[in-house]
Amino acid sequence: MAEQRLAMRTQFPASAESLKPRLKKAPEFPILEKQNWLIHLHYIRKDYEACKDVIKEQLQETQGLCEYAIYVQALIFRLEGNIQESLELFQTCAVLSPQSADNLKQVARSLFLLGKHKAATEVYNEAAKLNQKDWEICHNLGVCYIYLKQLDKAQDQLHNALHLNRHDLTYIMLGKIHLLEGDLDKAIEIYKKAVEFSPENTELLTTLGLLYLQLGIYQKAFEHLGNALTYDPTNYKAILAAGSMMQTHGDFDVALTKYRIVACAVPESPPLWNNIGMCFFGKKKYVAAISCLKRANYLAPFDWKILYNLGLVHLTLQQYASAFHFLSAAISFQPKVGELYMLLAATALSFFVAVALTNLDDTENARRAYAEAVRLDKCNPLVNLNYAVLLYNQGEERGALAQYQEMEKKVNLLKDSSSLEFDPEVSEEHPSSQSHHLFLWSQSPLWKRNQLKHQHK
Amino acid sequence: MAAASSSDSDSGRAESSEASSKWLDAHYDPMANIHTFSACLQLADLHGDGEYKLVVGDLGPGGQQPRLKVLKGPTVLSESPLPALPAAAATFLMEQHEPRTPALALASGPCVYVYKNLRPYFKFSLPQLPPNPLEQDLWNQAKEDRIDPLTLKEMLEGIRGKAEVPLSVQSLRFLQLELSEMEAFVNQHKSKSIRRQTVITTMTTLKKNLADEDAVSCLVLGTENKELLVLDPEAFTVLAKMSLPSVPVFLEVSGQFDVEFRLAAACRNGNIYMLRRDSKRPKYCIELSAQPVGLVRVHKVLVVGSNQDSLHGFTHKGKRLWTVQMPAAILTMNLLEQRSRGLQAVMAGLANGEVRIYRDKALLSIVRTPDAVTSLCFGRYGREDHTLIMTTRGGGLIIKILKRTAVFVEGGGEAGPPPAQAMKLNMPRKTRLYVDQTLREREAGTAMHRTFQADLYLLRLRAARAYAQALESSLSPVSATAREPLKLHAVVQGLGPTFKLTLHLQNTSTARPILGLLVCFLYNEGLYALPRAFFKVPLLVPGLNYPLETFVESLSDKGVSDIIRVLVLREGQSAPLLSAHINMPVSEGLAAA
Repeated sequence: MAEQRLAMRTQFPASAESLKPRLKKAPEFPILEKQNWLIHLHYIRKDYEACKDVIKEQLQETQGLCEYAIYVQALIFRLEGNIQESLELFQTCAVLSPQSADNLKQVARSLFLLGKHKAATEVYNEAAKLNQKDWEICHNLGVCYIYLKQLDKAQDQLHNALHLNRHDLTYIMLGKIHLLEGDLDKAIEIYKKAVEFSPENTELLTTLGLLYLQLGIYQKAFEHLGNALTYDPTNYKAILAAGSMMQTHGDFDVALTKYRIVACAVPESPPLWNNIGMCFFGKKKYVAAISCLKRANYLAPFDWKILYNLGLVHLTLQQYASAFHFLSAAISFQPKVGELYMLLAATALSFFVAVALTNLDDTENARRAYAEAVRLDKCNPLVNLNYAVLLYNQGEERGALAQYQEMEKKVNLLKDSSSLEFDPEVSEEHPSSQSHHLFLWSQSPLWKRNQLKHQHK
Repeated sequence: MAAASSSDSDSGRAESSEASSKWLDAHYDPMANIHTFSACLQLADLHGDGEYKLVVGDLGPGGQQPRLKVLKGPTVLSESPLPALPAAAATFLMEQHEPRTPALALASGPCVYVYKNLRPYFKFSLPQLPPNPLEQDLWNQAKEDRIDPLTLKEMLEGIRGKAEVPLSVQSLRFLQLELSEMEAFVNQHKSKSIRRQTVITTMTTLKKNLADEDAVSCLVLGTENKELLVLDPEAFTVLAKMSLPSVPVFLEVSGQFDVEFRLAAACRNGNIYMLRRDSKRPKYCIELSAQPVGLVRVHKVLVVGSNQDSLHGFTHKGKRLWTVQMPAAILTMNLLEQRSRGLQAVMAGLANGEVRIYRDKALLSIVRTPDAVTSLCFGRYGREDHTLIMTTRGGGLIIKILKRTAVFVEGGGEAGPPPAQAMKLNMPRKTRLYVDQTLREREAGTAMHRTFQADLYLLRLRAARAYAQALESSLSPVSATAREPLKLHAVVQGLGPTFKLTLHLQNTSTARPILGLLVCFLYNEGLYALPRAFFKVPLLVPGLNYPLETFVESLSDKGVSDIIRVLVLREGQSAPLLSAHINMPVSEGLAAA
């Protein structure tokens, strides 16, 4: 009863259409866009199941004419990874309304995701004809050109996009182009502008910080990384980079607390465990250092830096056989890049191998390793010194003398150019590289031991 | 032990949060069967008796049974079916004179249904859109039978390709038809005038000429054909019409229609457009590069939730002020206004079952709910000034009351370092054995190194020998010669006593075909019989895989198996190019027989 009465209430008087007697046959056509709003609301709430139900209903009712329903179905397909299906649906949309730049944009986007960058640029250009003031088209065209390795064109398009409307993403892409071209200064310039435009974007801040780190401008690097961490205290990249800087300054405890956050978020990151290991090494907790480094090595068995650090720690623990093992593995994985710090690392590696071999009484190989280290080295007197000691112990006094003189020459040279100064080097993705070099030059007890040996004589 | 202590601390925390909570749990019904959006929730004093009711435009389970529900306290006061799904609900005062009871407007399809005292009062339908004149002309011709269906179709297709005004449903349907159905369709429909109708996507209210709380308000409608309409509250005529570049999804209005107002419309293309009183087109535009999921104005700041799980604050000129990242997807947003304390904040219902309350970018409070909240509103309900009403994904209804003593302070949520910082590092432990081995290495490192090196050299020597041997006798399945780059692999199928042996031979050179190869099988003739132990290989085209099949009969019934050797030879040469050893399986067929 109640139900009936309520139903009665909803009879609306003023409606003109409902009063008109139904005109014989000709059925009314449903409004195509009747439930577009509902589809959209479900879609933005990521309630894709409900969304698909409504789409199905709507398409059935309109016999596949509802463009927006097809459009959203295609978007959902793409999110689910069915890019080919989504592409086909977007093409259907483009047929239903050929004047819409949006449909073309989505077709191009799907092509882009399928890796057909050439085809995508063509469709984007088509869309650009329909809508000239869309930053998204310019931006995506730029990204396509990056993949097609046409960096000049890409730059033009990205600058166009920035001109139309500034977006963080465009800045990031533009910065990437400069990095691909190897132009650090220009990249920094772009990222600086980007940070000015959106000062709270942690990704921009972190990237800028890392770039400064790469250039050795530590003050600014730390500033930007710190800013990134204020806005997002769990930013993995920023913590790792900032942590490695703290390690450089000997703040091992602070660095370790920061690493805990990363260990929670990304427990399987090799650089993280490498850095934690080197923290413990700095704190002289060698067993902990080894177990962390071994985990890092387990996670990234081909990373020569981790092997290098493992060798270093074992050398310190006087486990020369293991040290030799790790160091020689590091040498065979080490990329042959002509950069300065790679050279330094290679020198150090051969030198350490030599030290390990000396201690293992493998004099023949030790001599070869020293010879290699001397060949690679340009400024470190200790290499020559140790080589001289070895030769002297072998009874080759003439060779020893030659090395000793070489060493003296280097020492004088160093005295002229003030103190021991080494090029601090950092790779972008591997903030750990810095820390171990530091250990290498100043903290390794081996250097001191060898010096002492010499003094005894 | 550890587990017990941790559960203790958990319950302790729960208690303390209960005590310090700002909210009283007034009502929770997980089976309330309310499925709706924030836009369809309204609190209003519908009867003018000071007792505020909750109006819900309910979509029904699965969007199947649209209903208008009015709740008083925890109970449903009235419930009436709706002709179509409600897109938005609004309450507003229609006229000045007493009694000042607000009217209720429900937008659904192309109509706005207006109720007074919960009785149907008026139905407003959106005006028809002007049809495309060319299209109109064509159908008029069809009506007078001056045009045949095929030409009609061609002409209509031409219009669809380039016209500004889209075609009507009738024409679109016609374009889909097969040739045979066209005639009948034209005859059936030609007498009708073509019509284009749009639907309402969103609705809100705008004060007419006074800023008072109980002033007369206009309805503002957003439509599917990218327009905004402002309706007169008494006559329901269109007072103003504005057009947008995309379809509006959420609206936010401030000011008075007759004086000055600002209108923000979040649209389906991911942009938010700002309009003023005099502007027919948007004055400013915020490009979000994501879809907006909610739009709320807090004082002068527009707060937008995006589907990339973040909340942004913008000035009314479109400058971004701040961004806050959410831990989960935002499902719905609404305004929290505590007039007594002059507080305005944003509530956001998240997919992880939290409702977060923010003032600008500072988190004020987190309300945890048993299910994800899909719609919420805050305001006077019943006689309680500060009530939070939430409905959940499963159709539940939660009502919470803000304690009168509760004060929102910044940092009420998370502050300080992230909790992960206090966690202990999960370090791999080292055993006693490891330490012992370390000591041993220190003592006998030299010996270990020498043994290791000697063994390593031995291993390398053996590997090199085996490799050299394989190369010499062409034992490898891949030929090393530059002239005949070949790959061979064999598959044995069957249970026995008859097996099928398939050799897959592939020419791996880039361009040169190989001719004149022979295949030879070497096997124990007492154990196996092959129809042909020696045959010629056809010409091998580069890149193709050639399966060469042959049958092998196992002769022994003792369950023994042997190796069959396959040699690939070049005509006129005795050394094989490559060879394969096939370990034949034991014949199971005989045993079974």
